[in-house]
Amino acid sequence: MKNTKHWLITGSGIALLAVGFFLMKNIDNSNNFLMNLPYVFVGIGSGVFGSGMGSIVTSRTLKKHPETQRVLEIEKKDERNIAISNRAKAKAYDAMTFVFGALMVSFALMGIELVAVLLLVFSYLFVHGYGIYYRCKYDREM
Amino acid sequence: MKNRLEELRKNRGIKQEELASVLEVSRQTIGSLENGRYNPSILLAFKIANFFGMSIEEIFIYEEDAK
Repeated sequence: MKNTKHWLITGSGIALLAVGFFLMKNIDNSNNFLMNLPYVFVGIGSGVFGSGMGSIVTSRTLKKHPETQRVLEIEKKDERNIAISNRAKAKAYDAMTFVFGALMVSFALMGIELVAVLLLVFSYLFVHGYGIYYRCKYDREM
Repeated sequence: MKNRLEELRKNRGIKQEELASVLEVSRQTIGSLENGRYNPSILLAFKIANFFGMSIEEIFIYEEDAK
């Protein structure tokens, strides 16, 4: 099941790469936005393909070394490791609030195009909304 | 929170790696628990207590003032 998922991811990566190369050959050069599209497909396709292949190779290698697989599984599920990771993420989230805030003010003062500033503001609000949603959800669950 | 984990482990002649393997945690977690740098979840505390055949209170020492 897990391997099927990895193969599907790898297949999607190859498909995205193929679409990217196809578009590179056949796309009309007159539209600026469309001109960049093939490279976006190739970039995402390469990333997805690499990630999928990496997972397949790791999975095959670990099948031959069950003890290593067990150790890795323990490291992944270790409660202290999870607590450390969550605390680090919380710190990064707090820092992001100030960094994004400063960036928004800077962009506004620099007179950057309104669309770009608004996109940044909406992203910022979305992340904070997401945080509030999970706060409420966990508040009900715990 | 203080605990008697190191003492109990050494009394039984078990290595940190072996205890970690039985409890399904990393060796670093055992080290941190023994040093008092990390307090376990209630589930891990029960696992540890079950392993040593003792109650949680006999292994982990609750201190009112400790933060």
